[in-house]
Amino acid sequence: MLVLKIVALEPVHGYGIAQRIQQISRDVLQVQQGSLYPALHRLEKRGWLKADWRESETGREAKFYSLTRVGRKQLEAETENWDRLAGAVALIMKTAE
Amino acid sequence: MFFRKKQSERQFDSEVQYHLDRAAQSYIAQGMDPQEAHRRARLEFGGAAQIQEDLRDVHHPRWLADLRQDLVYAVRTLRRSPGFLISAVATLALGIGANTAIFSLIDAVMLRPLPVRDPSGLVQLARFTDTGGSRNVSYPLFEYFRDHLSSISGAFAEMPLVNTITLGGVEENVYGDAVSGEYYSVLGLAPAAGRLLGPQDDAGPSPVAVISYAYWKRRFGLDPAAIGKTFVADRTVLTIVGVEPPGFSSIAHGRTSDFTVPLFMTEQINGGSAAWRQRWDFNLLAMMARLKPGVTVTRANAELEALFDGWRNDKAATLSGDFLRKQLLKERAAALPAAAGLNGLRNEFFEPLAVLMCIVALVLLLACANLSGLLLARASSRQREVSIRRALGAGNGRLARQFLAESMLLAALGAIVGFALAQWFSRALIAMMANGDQLDLSVSPDWRILAFTGAISLLACVAAGLAPGLNAGRSNVNPALKQVRSGGHRRLGRALVVAQLCISMTLLIGASLFIRTLVKLYSVDTGIRTEGVFMFNINTKAPFPRARALAIQTAIVDRLQSMPGVLYASAAANLPISGSPWTQSVQVESYDFRPGEDDTVAFNAVAPKFFAVTALPLLLGRDFNERDAAGSKPVAIVSQSFVRSFFGGQSPLGRHVTSANVAYEIVGVVGDAKYGSLRAAMQKTMYIPWMQREGGRPTGYDYFARIAGGDPMRVAPAMERAIPEIDSALRLRLPRTYADAIDQSTLNERMMATLGGFFGLLALMVACLGIFGIMAFQVSRRINELGVRMALGATRVNIVALVLREVAMLLIPGCAAGCIAAACLTRFAKSMLFGVTPTDPIAFALAACALAAATLAAGFLPALRASRIHPMTALRHE
Repeated sequence: MLVLKIVALEPVHGYGIAQRIQQISRDVLQVQQGSLYPALHRLEKRGWLKADWRESETGREAKFYSLTRVGRKQLEAETENWDRLAGAVALIMKTAE
Repeated sequence: MFFRKKQSERQFDSEVQYHLDRAAQSYIAQGMDPQEAHRRARLEFGGAAQIQEDLRDVHHPRWLADLRQDLVYAVRTLRRSPGFLISAVATLALGIGANTAIFSLIDAVMLRPLPVRDPSGLVQLARFTDTGGSRNVSYPLFEYFRDHLSSISGAFAEMPLVNTITLGGVEENVYGDAVSGEYYSVLGLAPAAGRLLGPQDDAGPSPVAVISYAYWKRRFGLDPAAIGKTFVADRTVLTIVGVEPPGFSSIAHGRTSDFTVPLFMTEQINGGSAAWRQRWDFNLLAMMARLKPGVTVTRANAELEALFDGWRNDKAATLSGDFLRKQLLKERAAALPAAAGLNGLRNEFFEPLAVLMCIVALVLLLACANLSGLLLARASSRQREVSIRRALGAGNGRLARQFLAESMLLAALGAIVGFALAQWFSRALIAMMANGDQLDLSVSPDWRILAFTGAISLLACVAAGLAPGLNAGRSNVNPALKQVRSGGHRRLGRALVVAQLCISMTLLIGASLFIRTLVKLYSVDTGIRTEGVFMFNINTKAPFPRARALAIQTAIVDRLQSMPGVLYASAAANLPISGSPWTQSVQVESYDFRPGEDDTVAFNAVAPKFFAVTALPLLLGRDFNERDAAGSKPVAIVSQSFVRSFFGGQSPLGRHVTSANVAYEIVGVVGDAKYGSLRAAMQKTMYIPWMQREGGRPTGYDYFARIAGGDPMRVAPAMERAIPEIDSALRLRLPRTYADAIDQSTLNERMMATLGGFFGLLALMVACLGIFGIMAFQVSRRINELGVRMALGATRVNIVALVLREVAMLLIPGCAAGCIAAACLTRFAKSMLFGVTPTDPIAFALAACALAAATLAAGFLPALRASRIHPMTALRHE
């Protein structure tokens, strides 16, 4: 979901996604950067992401990932789910106090 | 596929490279040493190979890649051992081929639906005597059923014909059908050309014929001008009016019918009377009907039974004979599902085919056990390889799958070769079943046969591959790597050999039962001598004067008698064994039948010297002669059983027997002869002179002669020329020896003995190979031990005995299990046996002896090798 959210903003390459995850989570999520790629490919195979090769900001060819329509729907669904779950947890935590 | 994979991997590489470079750059920008920056980037990224592997999983599911890998590996390993490959594929192909062939026949005879509209709506309306015989109905009964049965929408009657026809100046023997008017409409067939027969052809004599599509193609090259052509069948000129649709031939599998004529025409063609149309006891017709939509066979059957009961009771009331009335009252009728046509072939071959199916299933099981043993032996020689793979992290499932892939490949190859083999084999079987006649069965593969072959191949694959696979899973990594031999697979290997011996034993017992049946059958006392006898029938191709019929009959026998080498010539309406006499009720002078006692005896009309040709001993009185002709005093010769039943010890000469208002004086007594088949019991038989029988019919007799020495068939060519000289309308038909005619009556027994023997021998060979393999392996494994024994003073004989004892240890349980299995199975073939019980001790003993001799011989070679081992070499072994 995190990956989808990042990709949703703009087409971005793998390195960019890794950087972004680190930035956003403020180094809380320490993932091995390499394991990001199988995940990306899985999402691509599922049709939620599409990828194309274009020139990156450094001028080299890089594989850019962007969200497909299915992916966007999926993101919305997952976001909604997450919100509901998070809301529920928050509510329980508050009520229990 | 390979290209795409390479490309995606290349792309991935550059994607990763990009990531690493950017990461490194960012560290360099932070002021890191370039080398250190690259190292750091790679560290953070993680193991590239592992990720690449994960990535491959994303694109290609694991099991698929594994399967491919397994198959490629299997191909490679199998190619390295062609000997194993060939023997394994051959064993499997034989098993699969035999099963497919027998199943093809079962499919062709029983399962294949007729090529007509909605075959499942067809039923056969059959009449059974109390012994289950005869399914035919009479013409009045056919009409009665057709007009009164409310569950059917239409019905037809059919009668097969064989005739010599003359078409375009060419004479040929063709098979045909005479059918009632609704034949084609009930079947739902449309003509390929012209018109088919219809109810209008039933109204009166309608000299028309419909030909089959196959005949149209063969004889006319599909030329539409065939319509309107005429041909002569016997004395009638028939006009071809149409062609049946392609694919259809007759309503019984295996029977060709090239031409179809109206039922009404049979009396014209065969020159007979119209009696068959009026007599309710002339059961000559097969009857089929189409059920009304929504009516089940069960309901039609219930209605038919009730209908028949009434009809039968009516007819029984008109009968005077007590015995015949009782017989008639025991008859019943039934509606049988007939989607696959009439039951003729099914009845004849159902049992042999079912038993053969069991036999070939056992052969396949044997092939699997054998292959399993081979795979196991291979597995044990590959134990180190397996251990290494296991040490490298291959799981049990993965290893078992590797072995399954190998047996899957073998099964696929076996299936392909077996399928080709089956085509040849089933054709050979059909030729055998045709029995000198023609049998038009289609065994071209249909979906049922393909599915069957696929299913048994899959089963064979799993059955053969599972044992070694599981066994590999059980083995331990450590001892195998250290080359210590473990014992697990040996027990399994021995169990497999015992299983092979057990199956072989079962098959051998079956084979010896069938062979003994055949031997018993041929050594049974028939009362006659059949060797050195030539026989034939005659056919008419054109009309000849009725009045000359009797003269022609005599002329044929005289002509036969004048041939060089002929000792005696005669003729008979029915010959012993190959023919069945007709029966008639009799009243015997000075004998009173008890109420309900069978008052019918077998009747046969014979020419003079019949008893000389058949070598039936004339016990009392005289033979028939030329003076026993029409108009003179009716005489009869009776059989020994006849005398025993009706006269006890007294002489029957001069007494009278009355039947159908004719009083015959008994002038002689002859020995008993078997009629019907070799299995039949001796019947009370009464012979009458052929010249005193009502009406002449030269075609109704078998002519035969005893020939002095040499081949009896040498008379045939001269006789073939002589027959048309007697009358230009006559032709010689079916020249054969008496022995051949008898062989035809033992088709099933010969088939079972031949095939049973063949598969028994095959099983024996396979079992011997199994024994040889395991003993050779045992000897090589125990070479150290044998060496020690010899060093300690064991003689060669001791060593041979030691090895053979091990063979016996396998043989005895195998034999015993086989006996038990056979005792359970042979019961089902009981009705096919003759003179032996299903648990015939001699057959069991024969099979056991054959198996013991063969396996001991197979074990002897390794034993001999073991005894030749030099103690020193043995001790240095390994």
